[in-house]
Amino acid sequence: MGDLSGYKGAALRLLEKAGAAVGDVLEVRTPWGAVAGTLVPRYLYGDGEHVVLKLKSGYNVGLSLEDISEVSVSAKGEKPSFSAPPSPEPPEGLPRVLVIGTGGTIASRIDYRTGAVRPAVTSEELRSLVPELSQVARVDPEIMFDIMSENVTPAHWTKLAGRVAKAVGEGADGVVITHGTDTLGYTAAALSFALAGVPIPVILVGAQRSPDRPSSDAPLNLIAAVSVAGTANFSGVYVAMHLGESDDRIALHRGTRVRKNHTSRRDAFESVDVPLAAVWGRGGLEHVADGLPPRGREFEPSLRFDGRAALLKFYPSMPGALVRAARRSGAKIIIMEGTGLGHVSKEVAKELRSFIRSGGVACMTSQCIRGRTDLSVYDTGRDLIHMGVLPLGDMLPETALAKAMWVLGTGARGEKARKLMAEELAGETTARTFPG
Amino acid sequence: MERLLVGLEIHQQLASSTKLFCACPTVKTEEFPGKFERRLRPAQSETGHVDPAAVFEFAKGRSNLYFWSPESSCLVEADEEPPHPLSREALRDSLLIAATLGSRLMGEVHVMRKIVIDGSNTTGFQRTAVVGLGGSFDVDGVRVGVQTVTLEEDAARILGEDDASRHWGLDRLGVPLVEIALEPVDGEPDLVGRVALHLGRALRSTGKAARGLGTIRQDMNVSLGGGNVVEVKGVQKLNLLPKVVEYERRRQSMLRRVAEELRGKGVRKVACTHADVTGVLRGSASPVVSRLLSGGAKAVCIAATGLGGLLGWEPEPRVRLGKELAEVARANGVGGVIHSDEFEKQGIQRVEEASLRGALGCGREDALVIVAGRADAVDRVVLLLVARLAACVDGVPAETRAPTDGGETRYMRPRAGSQRMYPETDIPDITVTEAEEAEILRETPEDWRSRVARLERERSLSGDLALKLYDTDEIERFEELAGRLKIEPSFIASVLVDLPARLSREGVAESGYAPTALARALEAVASGAVAKEAVPDVLKAAWEKGMTVEQAAGALGLERVDEARLAVILDGLVSRRAALIREKGDAAFSPLMGDAMKELRGKVDGALVARLLREKIASFLRAPD
Repeated sequence: MGDLSGYKGAALRLLEKAGAAVGDVLEVRTPWGAVAGTLVPRYLYGDGEHVVLKLKSGYNVGLSLEDISEVSVSAKGEKPSFSAPPSPEPPEGLPRVLVIGTGGTIASRIDYRTGAVRPAVTSEELRSLVPELSQVARVDPEIMFDIMSENVTPAHWTKLAGRVAKAVGEGADGVVITHGTDTLGYTAAALSFALAGVPIPVILVGAQRSPDRPSSDAPLNLIAAVSVAGTANFSGVYVAMHLGESDDRIALHRGTRVRKNHTSRRDAFESVDVPLAAVWGRGGLEHVADGLPPRGREFEPSLRFDGRAALLKFYPSMPGALVRAARRSGAKIIIMEGTGLGHVSKEVAKELRSFIRSGGVACMTSQCIRGRTDLSVYDTGRDLIHMGVLPLGDMLPETALAKAMWVLGTGARGEKARKLMAEELAGETTARTFPG
Repeated sequence: MERLLVGLEIHQQLASSTKLFCACPTVKTEEFPGKFERRLRPAQSETGHVDPAAVFEFAKGRSNLYFWSPESSCLVEADEEPPHPLSREALRDSLLIAATLGSRLMGEVHVMRKIVIDGSNTTGFQRTAVVGLGGSFDVDGVRVGVQTVTLEEDAARILGEDDASRHWGLDRLGVPLVEIALEPVDGEPDLVGRVALHLGRALRSTGKAARGLGTIRQDMNVSLGGGNVVEVKGVQKLNLLPKVVEYERRRQSMLRRVAEELRGKGVRKVACTHADVTGVLRGSASPVVSRLLSGGAKAVCIAATGLGGLLGWEPEPRVRLGKELAEVARANGVGGVIHSDEFEKQGIQRVEEASLRGALGCGREDALVIVAGRADAVDRVVLLLVARLAACVDGVPAETRAPTDGGETRYMRPRAGSQRMYPETDIPDITVTEAEEAEILRETPEDWRSRVARLERERSLSGDLALKLYDTDEIERFEELAGRLKIEPSFIASVLVDLPARLSREGVAESGYAPTALARALEAVASGAVAKEAVPDVLKAAWEKGMTVEQAAGALGLERVDEARLAVILDGLVSRRAALIREKGDAAFSPLMGDAMKELRGKVDGALVARLLREKIASFLRAPD
């Protein structure tokens, strides 16, 4: 039996009886005449009372079962076969860039018959969708995962870091990782620790508008990411996304200092309290910050992550039981997102004390996002310091969580883990913040 | 004669309070404080196919500058935020329109994305949904079928363009629009105009159509003798429709005749060769060529087999194949196209032509086309023209064309293919419940023709006046005034529909003939304070001097003369002209009426003067000396 995805109930029975499948051309008899069209899939939460046809004009219409007296298949659908339009072979001598896909499509085609959107998987497909890539680098795409970014776990980070380390060994000039934007910042931070000292640029890139749209930000973000990964004279882990709402410049953010600060805008990603690492324009890199590490550094990565850390946001009336719950779930390090300079209520403080006494590491960041923690200004803060809570300065809460999972991945616990959390390892904290 | 078919597509903005996919109001913005720049890129289909119209726009390499203002757009129009749920108000309004046209309402509405990458939509697609299928109406005995009624978002408004970018205003983007696609009718130019007029009136009968300039646009699909369909986009003025239809008939007929000529000559395929002729033409005696080649421009000459003499051929007035080529070039940024049938006219010497033919190795039976301009643009245009020339054997190419102000059409881009629509996954399918459908069917308005006929009958109006009331949306105000004022309804109607235009011509601002001002003037007529004849002058004076209608009448000396006072005035006149009346009898009426009106114009109804004067003359003649 053919594919009838999404159909259920009476509609499914009717279509099954007619021997119809998605993609077939049907003729449906209604009181007001015959309607001909291609059967398209029904969406997950659609009811069982309608049949959806794509008319010759391209429109989808939902026909109510009540209006349908007969369904017949007038032509079986043929699966469209893909033939990529010719794209130029990249010239010799271009840098080699590995493009790792993790899900969240950055380049895709549309099946106009059914509305399905399919990602590009081969370098030929990628080149034909974004022909400009051929001018910039020899691109080798590789799909590692196909998951929504909210389902990324420390286990994925371990695999990703391992693949990048291998690419360094294989002689890649740069690596680009395409990633859903929701947790892109967490992954960028995680890889910054696991790949500290990486000798090539590792650029994470996403899109705020899906690539099936003509207005997608994906192609330009990808072109910039591949261009920077292949040709920049600096190394390290960065995020490449739109700098503003225009399709002209792409910002490169340091992996440990970047945060998604808007739900939907193209320029949702921002560098927090540090200048941009670089700005890319259509002509290439327009601006590069001073002091970025050069290519070709020594590289001894520690690639493993251990997810037994927790990030808790303090709020007025937060029950201490939530801290206990984190502890019971196995957390060895708890990152608190405190108020203001880094404060929590007495009740929560009491639970943190007992967590520390039992060997856990408790760290403090601020939910203000901008600025640094300071536990010496108020008594509440001094109490926290006294009980052993570690203030993390201007480290972003999400970065602190990724760092904690990496620290645990190294096998460090207790005092050793606390020491690693306090030490600056991948630009995650800076001693000085400037006005402006 | 071959059959000409015309399918109309009417786009009507709805008078909804918000845009279709966000809470922005539907207002026009004059000043835009913000702007941003975008580039759109064609999306590839599953088969690797890319829409020809999309490729055409992308190949031009131009970016789009979007101008926005918080008064009329938000992040949704900027394509920086997903669309909000579809406006229920607009959906209901569009369903009412569909029901009015006899269309079957869709039980479930699916919003689609229709790829449009000329920049007029920031997303690169237009959101559109079928709300009604089928239906028909009758225009002067001709049945016109409705294919679909769709609810869609209007495009951004073009503000201007230069070589690098197009400029768009985001105020219009997202305004709810209903598109009605009609089945093709016989392309009798007059019928097409009447169909459009009827549909416009039918839309207005729902009360849901927006009014004003640019709120209704017509597209036309025109095909001759079963040939390819040519789409003419954006005819704003109704009176242009018949002209455009007629022009397309001539143009398509010319293209078919060119194809026939080629077949007659045994040319099955127009083969083209081309060569860079910048060197050959440098120093040309032709002023046109030397102008085109100034400043480092490039010239390429195309030779096309068998087309000699056919580029300048004009089998019907004002249509030539050569013009078509120039239009394609111009749409791609190249203004310099000269073909061999016009070489002499453009001052290209025989020897120059001979060396061009030599360079391309072709004879006189072949046509030459010189393309001159900026090097990159010329190369692109040459490829397009080679393809266009090769298509000559097939007659009419499927194109999208734009109307000119004179009712002709010019080339815009290749016609969009069918592979350009896919579901808008950001908007869940919308169910229209049976209760909603029943309510909409109950609200379906009276047919506009029966409404106008009823008005004629009930208020004793002429057909013309009743229709004018309908067309100017004044019926409601008219009924209200006619119901409460004791004045002839036809007078009320003419004040409402004719007077504003007259006063506007005389320089009176809109406030001077606002509905309230007109109503006050009519009330003054009803109360006897102002004579009917004086209404225009009184309104004008009231506006000029900032007075009430009554004050203006006083200031002009136009207070109404009542019947008793009129009788006294006429008695005086009759006794002054007694000699004349005795001499001429009833025939004295005309000169006396002239005298009377000199004094009474604007103060009393002329008909009343005439009646009383006749009575006075008759009683004078009856009276004993």
